[in-house]
Amino acid sequence: MKKEHLKYIHQHMDRIGRRDRVFLNNPVVMQGIGLTPVVAAAVNLQNAAVLSMMVILMLTLTRVLAALICRTSFVGLRAVIYTSISTVVYLGAVFVTQLVFGGSLLQSIGIYLPLLIIDPIIIKRYVRPQKEKVSTALYKGVLTTVGFVLVILLVGALRELLGTGTLFGFKIFSDAPIPIAQMAAGGFIVMGLVAAIWRSLANLFKKHVNMGVKKL
Amino acid sequence: MIEVLRSGLATFFVYALAAIFAQNAVFSRSLGVSRLLKLVDDPAMDTLLFSGLLCIVQVLSSMIGYGLNQLFLPWTLGDGRWYLRPVLLVAATVITFFIVMFAVATIFKKRKSLTRVAAALPAATFNCCVLGTLLLMANKNYTLLQTLGFALGTAVGYMLAALLVAESQRTLHSRNLPQSFRGLPATLVYLGILALALYGFTGQMLTI
Repeated sequence: MKKEHLKYIHQHMDRIGRRDRVFLNNPVVMQGIGLTPVVAAAVNLQNAAVLSMMVILMLTLTRVLAALICRTSFVGLRAVIYTSISTVVYLGAVFVTQLVFGGSLLQSIGIYLPLLIIDPIIIKRYVRPQKEKVSTALYKGVLTTVGFVLVILLVGALRELLGTGTLFGFKIFSDAPIPIAQMAAGGFIVMGLVAAIWRSLANLFKKHVNMGVKKL
Repeated sequence: MIEVLRSGLATFFVYALAAIFAQNAVFSRSLGVSRLLKLVDDPAMDTLLFSGLLCIVQVLSSMIGYGLNQLFLPWTLGDGRWYLRPVLLVAATVITFFIVMFAVATIFKKRKSLTRVAAALPAATFNCCVLGTLLLMANKNYTLLQTLGFALGTAVGYMLAALLVAESQRTLHSRNLPQSFRGLPATLVYLGILALALYGFTGQMLTI
């Protein structure tokens, strides 16, 4: 890493740590938002890919539209507006996703697909009464989407590999190493371990920056 | 007459018990986990108040959702229109939100308690647990009695899960744990082990 770069990161570590929604302040791993689809529905890579596509289509659009439309600071009304917008966006997103993946795969995910309408990862901004600029909404929406998609694909791949011994349907192991990874209980445990490893990596990164600056 | 009443009550309680233990919203389907973790972390939010509101909202919205679903059944049954049902159920939760808000505003005259309830109500209504249960019941075509029992049981089960997690928080934030496990990761593993224990009660089943 270059010296100037290292120094800059060290000086602004707090700010970067708060704003970086992909690694240092990932919405799922660090804040625990949007755990429902990750723990319950992402049992294999295919499901994870469908859910990722839905979130890619829904999250940023909902946030930008809500930033454009929502003018009230009353939390209850904001919640209703955010939910209505995400319902409309959901209908469009489901139509597009159905064209790509086919209807039967979408139906096999069951209740977790429509649950995205009300998932905190999509509508969490309603709790803060301050008005949001459209450009901020776009920027933060894209970053949050990237963070969520990374985690759900990682957990989906791990659970498929451990639970059935396959990856995207191709056989990797002759039998399933840990079949419990397919159940909700296994989902909780895998997600907990992923979160712990992710957090220790983030801590290592911060430590590395601090040590690097001291050496300069 | 008594026979009918007895069998109705039996259905109600069987579905309520199933929703509390065997099909607990949090442990077997992980509905509303994010909200649960926020709830136990946030000292300003009263767990009992939140759970009470969730109970009211869950039962009321399940009745409205049942009514809307029956009313528009021919409309959503068509082959390519399965994705329209969630819209009805979201409408049911929004209607419930306004009804409960209105009721709270007429019952509580004191400004302080009104603001406390008004702050907790959106979180209790726009919650994966509420909508998820509505979707589940609509997809399985439950009768009205089954719906009521299952909704009440789900709310009680959610409260149970919230109490279990809140109880564990002091231990799971302890300094004896490795730093990267402290807090959220340890809580998730704890929830997983509790879910395994519930499978031990009831036998395992797939979540989807």
